[in-house]
Amino acid sequence: MSTALRDILRNPTVAELELVARYAGLKVDARRERLFEAFALTGLPGRRDENWRWSDFKSAVTALDAPKTPPAHDPLARGGVATLRFSPSGFAAPSALPAGVRLVTREDVQAMGGAEDVPLGALAAALSGTVQVEVSAEAPVHLHMVFQGPGAIHAARIAFLLRPGTELHVSESHLGGAAFSAALIEFTLQAGARLNRTIYQRGGAGEVQAITALIEQDAGAESVQTVLAFGAKVSRIETRLVHRETGSKATLNAAYLAGKGFHADITTHVRHGAPACTTRQQTKGAVLDGGRGVFRGKFLVPRTSGQQTDASMQHNALLLEEGAEVFAKPELEILADDVQCAHGNTSGALDGTQLFYLRQRGIPLVQARAMLTEAHIAQALEGAGEHEDALRTEASRWLAP
Amino acid sequence: MLKIENLSATVGEGEGVKTILHGLTLSVPTGEVHAIMGPNGAGKSTLSYVLTGREGYTVTGGTATLNGLDLLSLDPEARAAKGIFLSFQYPVEIPGVPVMTFVRTAMNAQRKARGEAEISAPDFIRKSREIAKVLSLDPEMLKRPVNVGFSGGEKKRLEIYQMMMLEPRFMVLDETDSGLDIDALRTVAEGVNALRAPDRGMLVITHYQRLLDYIKPDKVHVLAKGRIIKTGGPELAHRLEAEGYDGVLAEAV
Ligand SMILES: Nc1ncnc2c1ncn2[C@@H]1O[C@H](COP(=O)(O)OP(=O)(O)O)[C@@H](O)[C@H]1O
Ligand SMILES: [Mg+2]
Repeated sequence: MSTALRDILRNPTVAELELVARYAGLKVDARRERLFEAFALTGLPGRRDENWRWSDFKSAVTALDAPKTPPAHDPLARGGVATLRFSPSGFAAPSALPAGVRLVTREDVQAMGGAEDVPLGALAAALSGTVQVEVSAEAPVHLHMVFQGPGAIHAARIAFLLRPGTELHVSESHLGGAAFSAALIEFTLQAGARLNRTIYQRGGAGEVQAITALIEQDAGAESVQTVLAFGAKVSRIETRLVHRETGSKATLNAAYLAGKGFHADITTHVRHGAPACTTRQQTKGAVLDGGRGVFRGKFLVPRTSGQQTDASMQHNALLLEEGAEVFAKPELEILADDVQCAHGNTSGALDGTQLFYLRQRGIPLVQARAMLTEAHIAQALEGAGEHEDALRTEASRWLAP
Repeated sequence: MLKIENLSATVGEGEGVKTILHGLTLSVPTGEVHAIMGPNGAGKSTLSYVLTGREGYTVTGGTATLNGLDLLSLDPEARAAKGIFLSFQYPVEIPGVPVMTFVRTAMNAQRKARGEAEISAPDFIRKSREIAKVLSLDPEMLKRPVNVGFSGGEKKRLEIYQMMMLEPRFMVLDETDSGLDIDALRTVAEGVNALRAPDRGMLVITHYQRLLDYIKPDKVHVLAKGRIIKTGGPELAHRLEAEGYDGVLAEAV
C-alpha cells in the first residue's frame, strides 16, 4: 500500500485491505489511481458519514468470500432483446447488437466527474474496465443487462451515450452472487434523447450491493426510471441526475420491499442546473419485522440556473409489522425563487379501517395486507412500461407467498 | 337464526374504556327481516362491528351465534365465510384496488374457506353484469378503485352490489338509506328484497322509518343506551316516526 493510501485509509477494515490488494494487482493507470483515491478518502462508507449513516457498508462488508446464494431468477429477461452480462469473471455481450448501437469494451479506466461524491461508484470504476455503449439509432433501442455471478467482489462499469433524439429502453437485473458488488452505470442524454430505465434488484441475505448511476441530461432530454428493490444484507441504489440544459425532464420512481434481514436503500440526488426542468419522484416502500428501508432524496435548485424548476418528491412507507424500520430524509435545497417544488414523506402502518373492510368481505388477513400493500406500491411501478407486469408479479409473490 | 344474548361490549383502552353495549338481547329467526331503530349514539353501529369482529371493540359478556355457531371467537374473515355480511354505514375507499378484483378475490376466498371451487371468470362477469343492471350501476364504475371518487349514493349501491354478489346467509345493513335519494332508495330496496329468502336473515339498522316502507320488516326493535328497550311490529316504526324516540324511551324507563 502506498503511504498516500495508507494515510487515507487509516484503520482499514479487513475488507478494505482486500480491496486495496485487489487494486494493487491491477495495471497501473493514473486515472485508476485517482478514482481509487477518491474511494479511499471515505473508504467503505458507514455510520460516521452523514450520507451513509443508515446504510453501513463498512460494517456490512466483512470477509470477501463468495456467499452461497442460490441463483436468483431474472423476471426482466425477454427473448429477442440483446442482453449484456456482467459477472465477477467478466463481461459478455452478444455478437449481434441492435442497429445503431456501438459497443466498445475498454480495459483502461475512463475519467469520471464527481467521484468523491460517490465513493462506491469510484470504487467500481477503479476496479473495472469500462463498457461504452453509443446509441445513434433512429428507432427505439431495447437492451437488457444482468449483473450476477459467484465471486468475492464484483465491480462493473458501463457508460451509455444517447445521441440527440435517440431512445433507449434498458432493463437491469442486479441479482447478486458476490459478497460485495459495486456497479457504476452512466448515462449521457444528448438533446431530446429519451431513456427508460427499469431496475430489478434482489441480493442475498449475506450480500452487499451498491448500484450507482450518474445521469446527465441535455436540452429537452427525458428519462423515466423505475426501481423495484428487495434489498440485500445491505443494498443501495443511488441515482445522481443533472439537468444541465433547459427543458429536461426526469421521473425517478422506486418501490422497495424489505423482509427480515434485508436492507434496501434508495438514494437520489437531482441538480436542476438549467432553467425550466422537471423532476417527478415517487418512492413507495413496505417493510417487515427485521427489515429496513432507507430513502434519501435531494433536490438542489441553484439560484440562477434553477429558475422555473418544477419538481416534486414523495416518499411513503408502510411498516407492515412491528419491528420494521424505515429511515427517510427528503431534502430540498432551493435557492431560486421562481420554482414549484413539493414534497411529502410519510411512514406508518396499514390503515386498520381498510384492512377490516377487506376482511369483512372474507379476504384473509395476509391476503388483505398483500392487496393493500401492492396497491400502495403500484403507482411507483407504472412507468416501467413493458416490465410493469413482471415487477408487479414479483412484488405480489413476495407479499403473499 | 342470529341469536344475541346479554351482549356487552366496550370500546377504547385504559382510561378511555367506554361500555357501549349493555347486555343486549335479540334474535332474528332465519327467513325474517328485523329492523333496529334508535337515536344517534345508541350503539347501533357498534353492534354491527361487534358481530363482524372489528378490532377495537371488546366483548365483555354475553354470546352471539349464527345458526348455533359462536361468531365471537372467529376472525372477521371466518365470520364472512360463514355468511355474515355488513353493509357499512361509511363504506371505505381502497385506492388501487378495482371493484371487480376486490369482489372476485373476496368471493373466491370465501369459497375456498368453505371448501368450494372458485367461480370461473365468465360466470363471475355474467353475474356481475346482471347485478349491476338491477342496481343501475355503470359497469365502468366496477373497474374503478373501490369507492374512490364515488358519491355517497354510489357507495351505498356498491355495498348492495357486493352483498348480492356474495349472497351471504345473514346481512346487517347499517343506515343503508342515508345519503340516498328516493329513486336510489327504491333501487337499493329492490336489490335487498331480491335477497329475501327462507334461508336468509337480515338486520336492517336505520334512523328513519322511510326505508322500512320499501324493505318491510317482520319486527322492529328499538335500541337505546346499548340495549333493546322495545320490540314490536312495523307499526312501531310508524309510531317512532310520528312521536320521535322520546316517548318510547320514557316508557321504557
Ligand atoms: N372507536 C370508538 N371510540 C370511542 N367511542 C366510540 C367508538 N365507536 C363508537 N363510540 C361511541 O359509542 C357510542 C355508540 O356509537 P355508534 O355505535 O356509532 O352509535 P350509532 O350507530 O347508534 O349512532 C357513541 O357514543 C360513540 O361516540
Ligand atoms: Mg351508526
